Amino acid sequence: MSQPIIDSRSISKNYGSFRALTDISLTIRKGEFIALVGPSGCGKTSFLKILAGFEQASSGELFIEDREMSDVPAAARPTRMVFQKLALFPHKTVEENISFPLRIAKVPAAERAERVRGMMDLMHLRHEYLTHYPAQLSGGEQQRVALARALVSRPGVLLLDEPMSALDAKLKKSLQAELKKLHRELGTSFVLVTHDLEEAMMLADRICVMVGGRIVQLGVPLDIYRRPANRFVAGFIGETNFLPVSVASTADGLSVRPLRGDQTAALLGADRVSPEAHGDAGLLLIRPEDGEILSGAPSPGMWTIAGTVDEKFTKGSSTQYRIRTEALDVPFVLESSGFDTAHIPVGAPVSVGFHPAKSYLLGDRP
Amino acid sequence: MRVLDRSWQDRGVLLNSLPLLTLLTLFFIGPILLTLLLTFQEMRSYQLQWVWSLRVWSEVFSKYSYWVVIGRTVSMAFLSTFLCILIAYPAAYALATRLKNYASHIQILIIFSFLTDAVLKTFGWVLVLDRNGIGNWLLQHLGLGDEALNFLFTPRATLLGVVYNLSVYPLFTIYLSLKRIDRDLILAAYDAGASKWQTFREVTLPLSRPGLYAGAVLVFVLTLGTFLESKVLGGGKSPLAPELIRQTFETRVNWPLGAALTVVLVAIATIVLAVAVRLVQRTRQEQAAKGAEA
Repeated sequence: MSQPIIDSRSISKNYGSFRALTDISLTIRKGEFIALVGPSGCGKTSFLKILAGFEQASSGELFIEDREMSDVPAAARPTRMVFQKLALFPHKTVEENISFPLRIAKVPAAERAERVRGMMDLMHLRHEYLTHYPAQLSGGEQQRVALARALVSRPGVLLLDEPMSALDAKLKKSLQAELKKLHRELGTSFVLVTHDLEEAMMLADRICVMVGGRIVQLGVPLDIYRRPANRFVAGFIGETNFLPVSVASTADGLSVRPLRGDQTAALLGADRVSPEAHGDAGLLLIRPEDGEILSGAPSPGMWTIAGTVDEKFTKGSSTQYRIRTEALDVPFVLESSGFDTAHIPVGAPVSVGFHPAKSYLLGDRP
Repeated sequence: MRVLDRSWQDRGVLLNSLPLLTLLTLFFIGPILLTLLLTFQEMRSYQLQWVWSLRVWSEVFSKYSYWVVIGRTVSMAFLSTFLCILIAYPAAYALATRLKNYASHIQILIIFSFLTDAVLKTFGWVLVLDRNGIGNWLLQHLGLGDEALNFLFTPRATLLGVVYNLSVYPLFTIYLSLKRIDRDLILAAYDAGASKWQTFREVTLPLSRPGLYAGAVLVFVLTLGTFLESKVLGGGKSPLAPELIRQTFETRVNWPLGAALTVVLVAIATIVLAVAVRLVQRTRQEQAAKGAEA
C-alpha cells in the first residue's frame, strides 16, 4: 500500500499557447483508488491521457512502476484505460473484445478462454453474451465488458475516464458499488477521472481536486469535505453555508465574530483554519448538517441566527430547510434528521444554532 | 427488418417507391430486358429479323475469341481494382490521419482533377508516354536510360489510364469510411498493447471495409465498361469487351451478337456486385454497434 506505483513530478502540458496542466506532482500508491476531480477543462483528462501514454507531457517526469515513461508508448505501459465512450470494438464479439489484450500479448488460446470466462464471472456477465456484439448489449453490460477488457491482462493501474457519466442514476449507483468492490478484490490501483465529487467521495481513497490545470487540493474524502482548500472546493460538493466573519488574532488562536449580528467571539483551533485564510476577514464554512433548529436554549458556545423558513424539502431520511436570515444574503441551508423539527411549516420564525468551533475558516476571496 | 417483411403488402411503401420504381423500369430494367430480347433475334443482310432462335448464343459460347476478350476485360478489371485500391487506400489513410489539417484543400484539388474531362486527361497521357514524350525526356535527363517508357499502345498503357482515371472513386469511399472510425477505438487498441500494424489490421482495416468494398466495386464495374482508355492508350491491338461490343454493333452491324456480349458483361458485373453486397452486409451487421453505442 505504501509503495508508489505512479510518480508524477511537476508535469506540465501545453497545447500551443494554452497551458492545460501546470506543475502536477502526484504520487499514487500501489493499490490505491484515487479520483481526479474538477470542472470540465480543468486538465484532469489531459493528465489521464499523459498517464496512459496517449499524450506526452511538455515538461516534468513521469514514473510508473519505477520506470521513466517519456519514451514508453501507450502499448508498453502497465496501464489500461476504460474510455468515456467505452470504445469497444464494434466488429468484434464480446469474447474477442475481452481477449484482445491477451491475444496481442500472445497468451495461449486455452488460457485466454479461461481468463475471459473468469472476467465474465467477475463482472456478472452471462456467458451466452460471449458471442454477442457490443451493440446487442445494454449500456450497463457494455460498461462491464469495457471493464473486463481493461482488467483481463491484470494491469498495475486502471485508468477510468468518466466511464459512468452516460448511465442513468440507478445503474450508476450499482456500478459504483461494484467498482469499489472490484477495487478491493483485485488490489489494482485505480485512477478515476470524474466531474462528480460525490462519486469521487464514494469511491476513492484519496481525491485530487484540480482547477485550471493545477492541483488545488489532495486529500482523503472527509478532508475535502470538512477542510476544503478554498471556497470553490467547498462549494463543489453538496450545499454549503458561508458565513462572513471578522477575524482577530489572540494569544490563544484566531478569534472570529460574525460581521452581522451580535455574537460573542469564538476561538478556532489551528486545525479549523484554512492555510489560505489570512487578514481580518474570512468565511466560516458551515455544512447543512452542522446546523440545528433550536427548540430550547442554545448549548454553550453555540451561535444562533434568527430567521424564517423560506422553503422546506422532505428527503425521507432527513428534511432540508432553507432559512432566510439577516446574517446571510442567501438562505441558510440546514439539514435536519430529527423528527421533532419535521413539523415546522414554511414561514415559521426559527432560531438556527451551530457551533462555530466545529466549523472551518476559509479566506474571504473566492 | 420488420419493414422488409411486410413491404409488399404495405400500400404506403409501394406508393412511396413508385417514382423510383418507374424510373428504374424505364431507364434500367426496360433497356436490359430489350437487350436480352435482342439476343434471341438474328441479323440477315444487315436487317434485324424478328425470329426466335438461340443462334447468337451458340455463337457466343462456341467462339473462343470472344471469351479471350471477355477474359482479358475481366482480368483487366481485377487488376485495375487491385491497383486502384493499392493506391487509394494509403492516400485515403494519409488524408484521414496525417494530412487531416489540409484535407479540405487536398479534396478540392482532387475534385478539380476529377471534374476535368477524362478524354482530355487520357490524351494527356499520350504526351507523357509517347516515345518522344515528356516521360522519356524526363527519364533521359535523369539518366535513367533512353526510351525507358515504351509501352504506349499496349494493354499496360490502358491499365495505367484506367487506374489513373478511376482511383479517385475508392479514394473517397475509403476516406469516408476511415473518417467515421472513432479515434478512441485506435487508442483502445494501442492501450491494449497493440502495435501500429496490429491496430491497423485488427481495428482500422475491418472498420474501413465498407468503403473498401464500395470503392472496389465501383472500379471493377467501371473498368468492365472502359472504352476510352483502351481506344486512346491501348492502340486497339488487344481490344476489351466494350470495344468488341461497339465493333459488333457498328462495324459488323450484328445487333443480336452485340446484345449477347453486353448481357454477358452485365451478368459478370452483377455477380461481382452481389458478392460485394454480401460482404458489406456482413460487416454492416457486425458494425451495427456504432449507432447503438452513440
